[in-house]
Amino acid sequence: MSKIDWRQLSGPQVSRRTLMQLAAASGAAGFANRLEAQHSMVVRASAARAVARQDQEPKTGGTLRVGFLISQIVTLDPQQLSQGVVAGSILPSIFSSLVQFDQELGLIPDLAETWEVSEDGTEYTFTLRPGLTFHNGDTLTSADVKYTYERTINPDFASPHANKLALVESFETPDDQTVALTLSAPFAPFLAVACTRGPGRALTPVPQRVVEEMGDEQFGITPIGSGPFMVVPESVEIGRGFELAAFDGWYGGRPYLDTVEIRLVPEPSSAVSALEAGDVDLIDPAPATLFQQLSETPDVVVVEGPSTSWRGVVMNYARPPWDDINARMAISKAIDRQAFVDSAFFGLAIPAVGAIAPAFGWAYLPPDQVENPQAFDMEEARALAEEAGIIGAQPVIISSEEIGQRPTEVLRNILVDLGLDPQVDFQQAATFSERWQAGDYDMFLHGSVVDADPDDGHWNIFYSEGPWNTYGYKSEEADQLLVATRETSDQEERARLFQELQTVLERDVAAAFAYHAKDLVAYNEDVMGFIPIPEQRYYEQVWLDR
Amino acid sequence: MTQYIIRRLIQSLFIIWGCATLVFFMLRMIPGDPVIQMLGPEYTPEAADALRHKLGLDQPLHIQYIRWFGNVLTGDLGGSIASGETVTGAIATGLPKTLSLAALSFLIALVIAVPTGIIAALRRNSGFDYAASIVAFIGVSMPSFWFGIILILIFAVRLRWLPAIGYSEITEDGVGEWFKRLILPSLAIGAGYSAILMRFVRAGLLEVLGSDYVRTARAKGVREQSVVLRHALRNSLIPVVTVIGIQLALLLSGTVVVETVFSIRGIGRILVGAIFDRDYPMVQGVILLIAVIFVLANLIVDIVYTFLDPRIHYS
Repeated sequence: MSKIDWRQLSGPQVSRRTLMQLAAASGAAGFANRLEAQHSMVVRASAARAVARQDQEPKTGGTLRVGFLISQIVTLDPQQLSQGVVAGSILPSIFSSLVQFDQELGLIPDLAETWEVSEDGTEYTFTLRPGLTFHNGDTLTSADVKYTYERTINPDFASPHANKLALVESFETPDDQTVALTLSAPFAPFLAVACTRGPGRALTPVPQRVVEEMGDEQFGITPIGSGPFMVVPESVEIGRGFELAAFDGWYGGRPYLDTVEIRLVPEPSSAVSALEAGDVDLIDPAPATLFQQLSETPDVVVVEGPSTSWRGVVMNYARPPWDDINARMAISKAIDRQAFVDSAFFGLAIPAVGAIAPAFGWAYLPPDQVENPQAFDMEEARALAEEAGIIGAQPVIISSEEIGQRPTEVLRNILVDLGLDPQVDFQQAATFSERWQAGDYDMFLHGSVVDADPDDGHWNIFYSEGPWNTYGYKSEEADQLLVATRETSDQEERARLFQELQTVLERDVAAAFAYHAKDLVAYNEDVMGFIPIPEQRYYEQVWLDR
Repeated sequence: MTQYIIRRLIQSLFIIWGCATLVFFMLRMIPGDPVIQMLGPEYTPEAADALRHKLGLDQPLHIQYIRWFGNVLTGDLGGSIASGETVTGAIATGLPKTLSLAALSFLIALVIAVPTGIIAALRRNSGFDYAASIVAFIGVSMPSFWFGIILILIFAVRLRWLPAIGYSEITEDGVGEWFKRLILPSLAIGAGYSAILMRFVRAGLLEVLGSDYVRTARAKGVREQSVVLRHALRNSLIPVVTVIGIQLALLLSGTVVVETVFSIRGIGRILVGAIFDRDYPMVQGVILLIAVIFVLANLIVDIVYTFLDPRIHYS
């Protein structure tokens, strides 16, 4: 491993441009080109009108009505929020954080104007913008960031994000604008998973005075943040939605929209009807089952992007014969990924060859550039199945609403084709969580949800002690590679390590990698300025042409 | 009569208590842990223990029960595990919606069912009777959520006359907006309900029309209109009222799916969401409320009998 200069992670910008230059300089021109192509989201407008209006001056005012396809927002408290979809789609409007993602998932300043990372990768120094305020007018200083840090790691508070700060050794605030923290060991994804607007909930600043006055419960319902929009407290109706009003004091200036109305519409067909009837202006995430219909609807713009997550079949090592690699490989080789994606998602997903999601263009390799021992081959699959003696076996597949009935049924049919007699056990969310955590299953479609960095979707599931590794994959080689990805901040090097890891995981059939679900959004044609960032929504640039 | 009502109310308290207790323990017997559910993908054993302690779920079951029941007696239904709102607060926002929906559905059902049922009974075996029966069977077999989606597609998406989803507070946006948003979901529930009621009105009236006193009335030369409306209809309503009381359950369960289709967060959606989340206090509170509504509704039905048929006495 070449000597790493951790200073590359310093701000005001860590862009993919830097990565591309690095790639070009090291002779990897093809890689540099792929960085350009892989991540982008496709925006399709059905009418020429939208294109014609692109050069228009943005108009100020109006209400954007968002239909949000989720039945419940558990909390809006960043330190307590564990719903990835809410963290990506709603939190960024209410809360600014230290840094934020740009359109290509590079990092740009948010509340921190610049930041420095020491050469050994353990010291982070953030310099906040001057004159920052929270929605209630209170000034935002380094003391609030420190309070937030202490709040997150407080065991009584039980934040699900405390583990992201486990390596923090010291947290200092030399002056009002400076935050200096030291890690006990380098942790490459630290900025992405702990400091970004949206996913980086661990250090998203909250105002101490307000939290203490309001109490934690109430703060989760009517939070005060420092983002471009503020929650209108009297509009909050749990389970129905709430309104966000433009925040004049946001450092980036007042957003164009006066109001964003968030309405919870859990039923997919109702959400699509509401968009078509003009009851809402934007639906997020748009349902894959009705996406084709939406893209043919006049006046509706659909956005289709790669997701940051992956899914694949994991098989329980503790339950023979699934500890036998031939058994696992037989299952894996029986999956025709393209057919899987076509029948389960109407083609609106990407066949997977590993756990690196296409949204992370800097590390992702498209299927045609990967030598894949798991590639579909029914004959070989049958031969392996015979050898492993799994013909006629009755594996229990657990599934839930979140995984979806369709993909699970498709998997079941594949296994039936192979000659197995699988039992699908469809569970409600609560029971499902309990069963997979207890390891009470033969197999299921495991994977990640909304990731800020490939670390999220790899470490938790493939590290031998990873919290989501309940199926018993243990490989020293994989562990070493995982640790190495955390210890280097050179993205080029990390990309190489993740790719090497992918080869190991494929070979071991740590999972039979299946697909990456797509990030889908649909909105009315008069909604302008939508920034397509995978699984992140920033509404400050959005305006209405009406 | 007063004595009877008091006795029934005391009985009702026991029924409600039994119901609440049953729910409390059954809820904890079904698989699924609210803490794991709440932490979701961020689960770690340490975080789960901390949260369990915070919510008091690490206490023995009987302690939890005594504590909960004591609070209920003082009117405190506790706080939701999942969302942090108080259970009474959630009920206060959800109940008006469900009641509005149920009341309007009921009204629609009555307006359709009573006249159609009477005409069908009077013109028994006529074309109208057959047509009404066929429509009623279609109405009963048509799931309300499906009918709701069809109504949305016609009136909201195609014609754009009415909004597709949501609910408006009568106090905030006025009666017009409230009615506009309620009419489609109410039709979706009311249509199926009216079909059942109509069959009962028809059957009840037919039976009474064949009885001796009606024959006597007719023999005395009482006008047919008077025979039907003054003498027969009132008596024929007894089975109908019984059905209304029992079918209240159908009406309430109908609102659960229709509330989902129309994105209205009434009691039904709150309850279903809470069950999925294993949100113990919320499920307990909402079921307690439903039990109260049920017991009271059936008490009212029993009292209404005495007005419909003076021969019925309670003592």
